Amino acid sequence: MRIQKHPILEFEKGRKVAFTFDGKKIQGFEGEMIASALMANGVKVFRHSKKLDRPRGFFCAIGRCSSCNMVVDGVPNVRVCVTPLREGMSVETQKGRGLLKP
Amino acid sequence: MTKKQIMVIGGGPAGMSAAIEAAKLGAKVTICEDKGFMGGQLVKQTHMFFGSQEHYAGTRGIDIAKILTEQIKELGVEVWTDTVVTGIHDEYTVALTRENRYHEIEAQKIIIASGAFENLLPIPNSDLPGVYGAGGVQTLMNVEGVLPGKKIVMVGAGNIGIIVSYQLLQAGADVVCVVETMEHVGGYEVHSAKLRRMQVPILTSHTVTRVDGNNCVESATISKVDNFKPIPGSEFSIECDTVCIAVGLTPLTELLALAGCETRFVPELGGIVSWHDSNMQTSLKHAYVAGDASGIEEASTAMVEGRIAGTHAAMSLGLKEEKANKLIGKFKEQLRQLRGGPFGEKASAGKAALWNIPWDRKREFTSSEPVVVSETGAKAVIECHQNIPCNPCVASCKHGAISMGNDINEKPRLDLDKCKGCGLCVAACPGLAIFIVNRNFGEGLAEIGIPYELLPLPKKDETVLAINREGSVLCEAKVTKVITSKAFDRTAVVYLAVDDKFADDARFFIAKDATKPPLVKKNPMTGDTDVLICRCEDIYQSEIVALIDKGYESFDELKRILRCGMGPCQGKTCQRLILGILARKLGKKTSDLQPQSVRSPVRPTDLGIFADSEAEWNLADWPEKNSEGK
Repeated sequence: MRIQKHPILEFEKGRKVAFTFDGKKIQGFEGEMIASALMANGVKVFRHSKKLDRPRGFFCAIGRCSSCNMVVDGVPNVRVCVTPLREGMSVETQKGRGLLKP
Repeated sequence: MTKKQIMVIGGGPAGMSAAIEAAKLGAKVTICEDKGFMGGQLVKQTHMFFGSQEHYAGTRGIDIAKILTEQIKELGVEVWTDTVVTGIHDEYTVALTRENRYHEIEAQKIIIASGAFENLLPIPNSDLPGVYGAGGVQTLMNVEGVLPGKKIVMVGAGNIGIIVSYQLLQAGADVVCVVETMEHVGGYEVHSAKLRRMQVPILTSHTVTRVDGNNCVESATISKVDNFKPIPGSEFSIECDTVCIAVGLTPLTELLALAGCETRFVPELGGIVSWHDSNMQTSLKHAYVAGDASGIEEASTAMVEGRIAGTHAAMSLGLKEEKANKLIGKFKEQLRQLRGGPFGEKASAGKAALWNIPWDRKREFTSSEPVVVSETGAKAVIECHQNIPCNPCVASCKHGAISMGNDINEKPRLDLDKCKGCGLCVAACPGLAIFIVNRNFGEGLAEIGIPYELLPLPKKDETVLAINREGSVLCEAKVTKVITSKAFDRTAVVYLAVDDKFADDARFFIAKDATKPPLVKKNPMTGDTDVLICRCEDIYQSEIVALIDKGYESFDELKRILRCGMGPCQGKTCQRLILGILARKLGKKTSDLQPQSVRSPVRPTDLGIFADSEAEWNLADWPEKNSEGK
């Protein structure tokens, strides 16, 4: 959910861009963190843990906890809370540690 | 190898302040920040700061970030954003990645202001999406403009918990309740008063015992506690989609440990901290620490600590010693003042423990005086009952009606004869704790001026419901005027006419059709009670306990067998919890336990970056280096 009006803040957003989440086309603002764009679209589960397959999502927002690791443009373990969104990005739910493509 | 005079690590309030003071004395300073912008946690602080006027009290954190960033630019500090410091080697070498390359930089002085990390709450299912750090939520909503959910349970009523709750309300979310294990609110009363009048239940002596949901949080189970232990049978659950954790922070000291600075476990400072003296110098004379990395405190103290570190670092390079000495004296006095009240006791005790000096906590403060409401005309009513280090109200009054002694921890005093009831102090008070009351508004009415930071603003002549300090509806009230101005800095002052018998009680209002959903207590949830401690490697508490029962006694031993601390967070989330379990099981103090060995890189880094680096590693050097180590 995006905040529409705020008593103190004005949010300066980049242009609206399309990207894909698990193949589905959704929208966000260029330059905002990928995690923010996903949460604004109601996506909360970012990955499934390696051993127990437990759902994980956003947590610290400062790139420290690695709870939000996802596969971005084919690269696994991208901390989406500190990675800015660009047009046409492919963002995928990560399974375990992810796979490095040769 | 590239050489630098002073390297500052961390672009938050402490790091920026350090860079500013060092540059002012003529030092060549480079500041590294891992994000794309400066400001650290200031960029999400929408509230006005407490503290002293000369340190931006009364200014919102977001604006302090802009002011400091501007100063850094003007002083010619070299700013490296998107720069991740991955380690400090051989005491003087700062290793970092920047623009996808690895660099090693030799610095004469290193100031480490690496900040802190949010503590986890070890309860069943606390790894579910929907359980977020309160600081993380603050970033998401105040920097990115996105709400984490609609119905929020806040865990922890320290300043972070109550401030973030208020900001969630400002952003349009519903804070279902705030849960606090202690018997009383830990944060400033002026902050919790805002939540109370906004009808948010603050459940003290309660804790969240588990969260449940299918893929995401759907409920929180809450229990009453007695002496920090849940009381069986007192549990109930509450529907929510977000559980915000505000149970404290842990200093981030990996870089200090890697550099070789001596570290200690000091609970009052938030955990393992680097030893430092009052000049913020660590056990390595050329390395300094400042801000949360030196002990968890407010941003206002972080800024002063940064100033001390920056000044001392420049002075020890031989720059303007006399001036620097004077400045350090001044800054130390400011720190003493900021920590001089009851809320500074914890940090003072922590620093005393670090320095092995006795600490005398007993300092008398003036007890709460009854609020004086004048019988004639519009006058300010200051409802600030605690000794908190804060003084913007004094400077805001153009008539000299508000005064304070030499100590900023004193409560403000109001001279009713001088007060013109202008309302400037109402908008200036960071705690929103000053009101204007005119009990003779005419026709049996009193007029109340209320600080208001929510949308939508009411309109003149609109009928609203007047609310008391506890959030109960008193009566219908008419809005008499709504004042907004640039001088009020986004805080409006809304005036209401209420029945004069409510002059001493009406302190807030809600729209006539507004309803706060009642707190609906449902049957508690039950299920697996094991707690996931290491989220990177999926390790349960029972696995850790089983190994300790087998005779393992240290974090590093557990790490070798279970891999806890070896995942991508590198123990930032689990180390504190595991040391706690070890201490409990072994009957030891956490301070007597060895923390995990830190290895660089301290942030997840692509291996390809090292392959394509400028570092001068030559295979021919290796035998020589290895033999040095033997």
